[in-house]
This record gives sequence, C-alpha cells and structure tokens, in this order.
Amino acid sequence: MSSKINHHHQNDKTNGQIFPQPCPHLADFHARNGTKPFRAIQDCLHIKPPGGRAAIRRDSSEVPRCGVCGDSSCPRLYACMACAAVSCHVPPHSSHVAIHATKTSSACSHEIAVDVDRAELFCCACRDQVYDRDFDAAVVLAHTTSIIQSSKPENLRKRRRIDYRPWSPDLRERSLMVNNASPIDSMSSSNGDLPRGLRGLNNLGNTCFMNSVLQALFHTPPLRNYFLSDRHNRYYCQSKNGVRLCLACDLDTMFSAIFCGDRMPYSPAKFLYSWWRHASNLASYEQQDAHEFFISMLDGIHEKVEKDQHKPRSQGNGDCCIAHRVFSGILRSDVMCMACGFTSTTFDPCVDFSLDLEPNQGSSMKTSSTKSNHSCNCEADGMNSSQNCGISTLMGCLDRFTRPERLGSDQKFFCQQCQVRQESLKQMSIRKLPLVSCFHIKRFEHSSVRKMSRKVDRYLQFPLSLDMAPYLSSSILRSRFGNRFFPFDGDESNTLNEPSSEFELFAVVTHTGKLDAGHYVTYLRLSNKWYKCDDAWITEVNENTVRAAQGYMMFYVQKMLYYKASEKQGTS
Amino acid sequence: MSAKRSSINRPPTPDVDRDRENQEPTLQEIINIKMIESGEKERLKELLRERLIECGWRDEMKSLCRAYTRKKGRNNVTVDDLVHVITPKGRASVPDPVKAELLQRIRSFLASTAT
Repeated sequence: MSSKINHHHQNDKTNGQIFPQPCPHLADFHARNGTKPFRAIQDCLHIKPPGGRAAIRRDSSEVPRCGVCGDSSCPRLYACMACAAVSCHVPPHSSHVAIHATKTSSACSHEIAVDVDRAELFCCACRDQVYDRDFDAAVVLAHTTSIIQSSKPENLRKRRRIDYRPWSPDLRERSLMVNNASPIDSMSSSNGDLPRGLRGLNNLGNTCFMNSVLQALFHTPPLRNYFLSDRHNRYYCQSKNGVRLCLACDLDTMFSAIFCGDRMPYSPAKFLYSWWRHASNLASYEQQDAHEFFISMLDGIHEKVEKDQHKPRSQGNGDCCIAHRVFSGILRSDVMCMACGFTSTTFDPCVDFSLDLEPNQGSSMKTSSTKSNHSCNCEADGMNSSQNCGISTLMGCLDRFTRPERLGSDQKFFCQQCQVRQESLKQMSIRKLPLVSCFHIKRFEHSSVRKMSRKVDRYLQFPLSLDMAPYLSSSILRSRFGNRFFPFDGDESNTLNEPSSEFELFAVVTHTGKLDAGHYVTYLRLSNKWYKCDDAWITEVNENTVRAAQGYMMFYVQKMLYYKASEKQGTS
Repeated sequence: MSAKRSSINRPPTPDVDRDRENQEPTLQEIINIKMIESGEKERLKELLRERLIECGWRDEMKSLCRAYTRKKGRNNVTVDDLVHVITPKGRASVPDPVKAELLQRIRSFLASTAT
C-alpha cells in the first residue's frame, strides 16, 4: 500500500520555503521530457470562476471522466502527463490511474499524472502527491495573466540603506552636550518605582478620549524617539514659521512635559485648544470617539508639517511626515470577477486597521483563529479546541479582514474583461506593514437606516505578541494559488524572511460604559510591566487585568523597535 | 520532443467510448453532467468550501492531518493515507446546517432544470 521509503525528502530551503526533492519517477519524467516538460500543459490550465481555482481541461467545457469505467463523479480524477488519458483513483477500492501507470515503457513514462480539478501533481507509482517548481510556475502563470495591477505601489522603491557606523563624541560635541543638557537621574528618590515618562493627564471636561490616545502616543517608540531627540523643535519651528497652529509643536511641548520627571498630572489644555482649531467640527465638551481623535490628530500633524517642507504628498512610504512614517502601511485590494475570473488590484495607504467583531460567536463550530499558534486559553492543536473556544480573538478579526468577501448583487463591480458589471469576490491583504500597527475594533455601530447606534461589548482576546505574516499579500496570494512553490513579486527582498512581521503590544485603549456615557482608559506596557492610565491616575496593574479588559484600540510595534524588559528603571 | 508535446493533447482511444454508449446513463450521471455543464457544481463546491472554512471544519481537518503526520513521521505519510484517515471523521463532522443548505440548493437546481 505504501511505498514511501523511496522518497528522499531532504528539504532544501529556498526563499524560506521547504522544497522536497523529487521522487525517482518525477526525476525520470524530467529526464525524459526536457527542462520544461510542464509548459505543454499551459494551454489546458483554466482558472475556474467563481473561486479562481486552477483546473486542467482540454477545452473549458470538457467533463472529465475515467477512461476505464466512465465515472465522472469521482472526487479524484487524474490526467496522465504522457498521453492525457484520464483515470480515477479511489483507494483502497480501485485505482485505474495506478493500473495506467504500469504502461510505462522505455519510450514514455505514464507514472506522473495531474489532478484535473486541483492542478496538483501525483506520482502513481509512489501513490503520493509530488511537487515541481516548473509545474507550479506554469500554474501561477495561468493565474497571473488574469490579474491586472492598476498601479504598482509607487512608494515601494528600496530605501537606500546606510551602513552602521559607531560614533563617539569629540571634545566639542562633548562640551555641547554637557552645557546644554542635564543628566537624567534614573534612580530618582521621589517615585523611583514608576518609570520615566509616566505622568497623569488631567481631564478637562470629557477629554478622556484624548488623554487615552495621548498616553498611547507618548509611549509609541518611534514617535517618542522622534520628539525626544528633538527632531521637531518647537522653538525652531515657531521662529521659522511664526507662532501659528502646529500640532507637532504642541506635541513636542507635551513630550517635554511628560518626560521631564515631574509627577504632577499635566493639563494638555494648549494641545486641546490647537486640536479644536484643527478639527472644529469636534470642538466641544461632549464625549468624543478616541479613534476619531487619533485619525484627526495624525491628519493634523500631516497637514501642518507638510506645508513647511516641500515633501511628497504620498503617504504610502511615510516620507511626508512623522505621523505617516510611524503609522502608515499599504493595503492591497483584489477584486475578482466571478464570471470570468479576471482580477483587478489596487493599493491604498492606511494609518490603522479597523476591524469588525465577528457577528455571532458560538454558532456551529465557531473556532478561534488557528492561523498560527497564539496564546489561547485552550490547546491550540487538540481536536476539541476549535469546538470549545467560542471567544473572539484579534487574529480571528484579522482572518475575517483578509477573507475573500462576496460583493452582493447590489454591489456589482465593473469587470474589464467582461465589459459589464458582475458579481465579484473581494479580498484584502497587507502589502506593507507599518512600523506601528493600530488595530481599531469597531465597537460602535451606527446604523443610518435604523437611525440608531449601539455599542458592541463583546470581549475580544488579544495577544501580547503578534505575527502578521499570514495577513501579508504574499501569504494571502500564496494561499489563493493552492500548494505552490514560487517566489513572490521578486522585486523586493523577502518580506517573509525579514523579522519585521513580528509585533509586540505596548498600549491598549479600553472603553467601558455605554455609547454616549463611557470612559476611556489606557494600559501601557513598559519594561514588561503594565500601568493603568486613567486620566490623572497612574497605577501599576497585573497583566491579567489588561487581558480581561475590553480592547478598543490596540497598539503594536515592530518587534525590532521594541526594547524588551531591561533591569534598570527608566530605560523603556 | 514535438511528438511528445502533441501526444499530451491527444484524446484517449475511441473504443473505450463506443463500449460505454451502449449502456443508458444513470439518473445520477445525468444530474452530475447537468450540474457540471451549467457550472452549478463548481458554485456548490465554492459554497461548501466557504461554509466549511467559516465553521472551522477545515482547520480541524488540518490539525488532524498534522497530528497524524507528526505521529507517523513526515516521510512516511502519503496523501492517500491522509485522505483515508480523515474521510470518516470529516464526513461525520460536517455541521447539519451546512448539509441542509447544500441539499436545499441542489433541490432548487433540480427543480429549475426539470424537463
């Protein structure tokens, strides 16, 4: 029954993918048929709508049936690569394709066949699936000729890398530093237990929405580093451009105040006033949405900074301003016509990810996401885990975000190939990850139809460490093509091999209460301890308190920018 | 080489077909062909895939396969083994609502093509 001992599955890693060595029959097939034996099958590869799977058909309307028994309903039908004879394979009852394989002669080998519905190679002698780069390349070619890219993301040119050079100050620089700076007393006598940079913010009248987001931003590593290293100097900015509205200057003021070591709660009144002038429609003492404030603030920094220097407007690679440098990523959207399979692709910048909560948990076998192992209260691999875990998780939301979505009949998309509006399948994926990913959970539902809004209180589990690799465009596309080996895009260094898809959680903004009467609180992770920032009150809390909280906005930073727990205080 | 290329596109030998045409196609075969030709079979397959992914069935099958492969060793497992192992469990664990929905779709297809 099983003749697998013949397989020499030594694995060779190319592009981070494990590539098995061919079985002797596949190697023999290659030897007999030249270097690109599978290109001949290119004509028979058809992409079947609606899902866009590759199938082998001699003409697109062919109904394959077994040459021996005439069965066309068999789940596995294989076409011989040598003579195109189709046979069925129903182990252990019968395998007409295995019988066919015995026809192998010195002239031609009938051992290699291809699954007509899945376009996957099968070795009839080894009775196992085999993999071949050339074949997979042919399949991918068939897929990609049906994809149009409306525009390559213009901003993904390679960053010029600068070599690392160590530096130590010379005499002049040393005297400059000594004369213009004061040393940070890392073991300050007063409040030596709280790390530097933790300072309460006074509530100026329903401003917890602002305080919570500000606390998260003060400890966003790239943003904090930018302002603390004086990259936006408010005095210089004001002297150059006059005293005028500049949110970055106000932010610079606040960073100085927060990190100066003073523990008295700070009142961000000036910033509030500046922000009101920027977002005048939100200027009131009413409760606001924290996420809306976050977006508006990033927009404010972008607008003002961009007017000063003549930087490019494009937000994709974040060259325009610090807000986009830190938060901006690129989303890829593929829309596939369900009638002809033609796919149209667009790229859009984004500063955060707004995720829907799953509609109902616990219906049938609702599972917590198993895309990769993450901390779940139940065993990730056991058979029963998926049946018992009805909890919504952040990765489940990301799964939903990147899952192909059927656009209904009222949202028909114009297909360039069919030249008419057709029902389509839309799929999102992440083309470029930002330095800091902000996940916004859509807990506030506003229905304009029913003229009512409501809040979704359902608990969402979120991990402390997050690997975004399964949601990258390269992974999503790879899974769309099935089990294939191929390099993705080829125009940039392997995003999959870079560690930059791993993220660490550093801030959680939570909301408690009702839609119109609630309270925002931020939890910050510094030196692997958690601190609750509730307006003016900062307290250390247990990690479990944070895990149990109702996450509204979660901030993750790329792991390489996140400095893990160090022994000393104040070095977070 | 070119002789080999054309052989890939050569249809199977005719005597096989002549034998078969003497027998009446069964009702099941007729339905199957009608479903394939109209594209309904492919749409139903896509629908089934969608439902089975949503309810976690596919992830469960995946973890079964992983567990089996880990136990036997990666080089000692073939795709036939895996199919054999998970087919009974897979068939048994398809949720009833999914079955009902597909049956309903098939029924309405049959009703619409009844001649």
